Amino acid sequence: MECSFALTGKDYVLVAADTTSARSIIKMKVDEDKIKTLSPHLLMAYSGEPGDTVQFAEYIERNIRLYHIRNLYPLRPQSAASWIRRALAESLRSRQSYTVNLLVGGFDTADKTPHLYWIDYLGTMATVPFAAHGYGSYFASSLLDRYHNPDGTLEEGLDALRRAIDETAKRLVVSPGKYTVKVVDKDGVRVIDL
Amino acid sequence: MSIMDHNGGSVIAMAGKDCVAIASDLRLGAGAQTIAMNFEKVFPVTDRLYMGLPGLATDVITLREKFRYLTNMFHIKESRPLQPSTFAHLLSSTLYERRFGPYFCEPVLAGLELTPSGTYQPYIAGTDLIGCLNFAKDFIVAGTASDKLFGVAEGLWEPDLGPEDLFETISQTLLNSVDRDAYSGWGAIVHVITADKVVTRTLKGRMD
Amino acid sequence: MNSFATKFSPTDADIELRRAQEIAEEEGMSDVMWGSEAGFGNLVNGHAFNIPSVPDPSSFLRLHTDDHADPNCKIKIQHGTTTLAFRFQGGVIVAVDSRATAGSYIASGTVKKVIEINPYLLGTMAGGAADCQYWETYLGIQCRLHELRNKERISVAAASKYLSNLVYGYKGMGLSMGTMICGWDKTGPAVFYVDSDGTRLKGDLFSVGSGSTFAYGVLDQGYRWDLTDAEAQELGRRSIYAAGHRDAFSGNTCNLYHVKEDGWKFIGNYDITKMHYDGPGEVAGAPGGGYGYDVRTQGRFSALAPTVPA
Repeated sequence: MECSFALTGKDYVLVAADTTSARSIIKMKVDEDKIKTLSPHLLMAYSGEPGDTVQFAEYIERNIRLYHIRNLYPLRPQSAASWIRRALAESLRSRQSYTVNLLVGGFDTADKTPHLYWIDYLGTMATVPFAAHGYGSYFASSLLDRYHNPDGTLEEGLDALRRAIDETAKRLVVSPGKYTVKVVDKDGVRVIDL
Repeated sequence: MSIMDHNGGSVIAMAGKDCVAIASDLRLGAGAQTIAMNFEKVFPVTDRLYMGLPGLATDVITLREKFRYLTNMFHIKESRPLQPSTFAHLLSSTLYERRFGPYFCEPVLAGLELTPSGTYQPYIAGTDLIGCLNFAKDFIVAGTASDKLFGVAEGLWEPDLGPEDLFETISQTLLNSVDRDAYSGWGAIVHVITADKVVTRTLKGRMD
Repeated sequence: MNSFATKFSPTDADIELRRAQEIAEEEGMSDVMWGSEAGFGNLVNGHAFNIPSVPDPSSFLRLHTDDHADPNCKIKIQHGTTTLAFRFQGGVIVAVDSRATAGSYIASGTVKKVIEINPYLLGTMAGGAADCQYWETYLGIQCRLHELRNKERISVAAASKYLSNLVYGYKGMGLSMGTMICGWDKTGPAVFYVDSDGTRLKGDLFSVGSGSTFAYGVLDQGYRWDLTDAEAQELGRRSIYAAGHRDAFSGNTCNLYHVKEDGWKFIGNYDITKMHYDGPGEVAGAPGGGYGYDVRTQGRFSALAPTVPA
């Protein structure tokens, strides 16, 4: 089952999403990257209904890019998250709505703070220090209440993330095997090998 | 579980002597799981009017944004103060626009209405999710703990409470009601509105 | 005055008792229901429960008691709970919450979810409260009879197998229990998971109930076999707190027990909100300070949304 995790630390946000793409009982692909880089300092992990996920993520990606091209500067994380939430909320009351859950993490280069938003397919948005979607969230939320340090180093953040992923692998019946992990900080986005 | 219970949360408003108070809990849930404990459901409309929006969280945010836009437009077009009674009808008609596909929120209003003599009079009101206005002299409740809030408020509220006594009454009513509701709680926030200022306090509540 | 007469005339209480006995006989209830068998007489004498007189009782019961399928169903069973038990070097730790919910209403915050079967055996309660209470008390009777017959205490394995076989006999009739039978016998500390499906598992660490996933998240990460007594008790408390905090249907207080070679001991009752803000108090193993994320981190997460500006 799909799982994604994210957490903030001192001047960075870590975002992780599993890499499986499943259809019925079959794993169609095991190295799918489900974290999009929306702008130089903004990441979005997406999961949910197959088809909807990529369509919605690309729509968001292109529009955030368009804003950047038109204005010569990117949207700040708060504004981007708010716009993305609005897109989902409006979709919810349309004939065919997007069933997509998101974790939006970004580094605000203006005030040099990390930002993380938990957004579900209804368009519910919460500002949080750490977040998870999927069945993994049932194990990770309590675990991160205990082990997350909001001003930890990147290494501390990765330790907490490893714990969450390991716990999900241990307890979840159909746990995902591999995860992509990305970090966003003042230097932009990097992929991290766990 | 009803769609109104999915995210949990409750709001209460009370009238006092020359003051009103409005309070909400801080939980944002997804079914039984608690996602966040910083989700406010009461928003300022004007300096002397606050609106509480318990219900489906996506609509809480959407409606807050919508009414911020509508009040700003009112100020630009009319250049005069927006009175609670005026806003109540704006609220009602805006909700009724979605009669056949409603926003899943039950708004609560608490404010001070300017009288022709220049004094301020307590004003509280609530509506259902399609905009049926309900005025009360004592208190208005809404959200997943509304039935518990009714019971406790019925027992604790009395007429002509001053700002400090009203704060104590609304706080005790909210905290004790949400302690009997699985979907509400995890902290609370209270706004007490008087003619010259608004006092906002966060409360330590049960965190389970 | 006529003290002699009153001495032999029936008192009000006598009349009441006799009337009750007459009613009982008429309705086919035997004396044992009132006597020393404490309500278990119908089982001791080999009788069974009344079963609905329909052609297929188990499907009838399933139709009317399973609230998964039908939320409007008349007989509701309480599901929200967090319980846990684990085995370690120093014995067994059993920790549970104390909340009972009926829908979204918190019906009680002071439920005893650890059932003291006898001085060496504990059972936990998740699912149907009455089912767990009744059958684990009944298990206590059978364990005592085993002791009298065999001149030695029953093993935890045997006791849990007895319960497992017993509830399996009622499979499909709406019994709902998820329990851990914990104790100390000749083999040392033991924990068995038994549920009303008939599953029975021997293991080191279990958690049961709606909040179990949240408890596991903390429990698994902190668990080692060579935990000290104080560390183990702290882990039990901390895990129940975690579940109480994140699960809407768990909470209020934590009851903590420790089973050692000389039987179980009640360690304490801890308020979950008090643990959030101030910690469990002056107890062995506590790190000092509240468990709460905001309390622990002192609001160091800089980007948390400030109060909405006007």
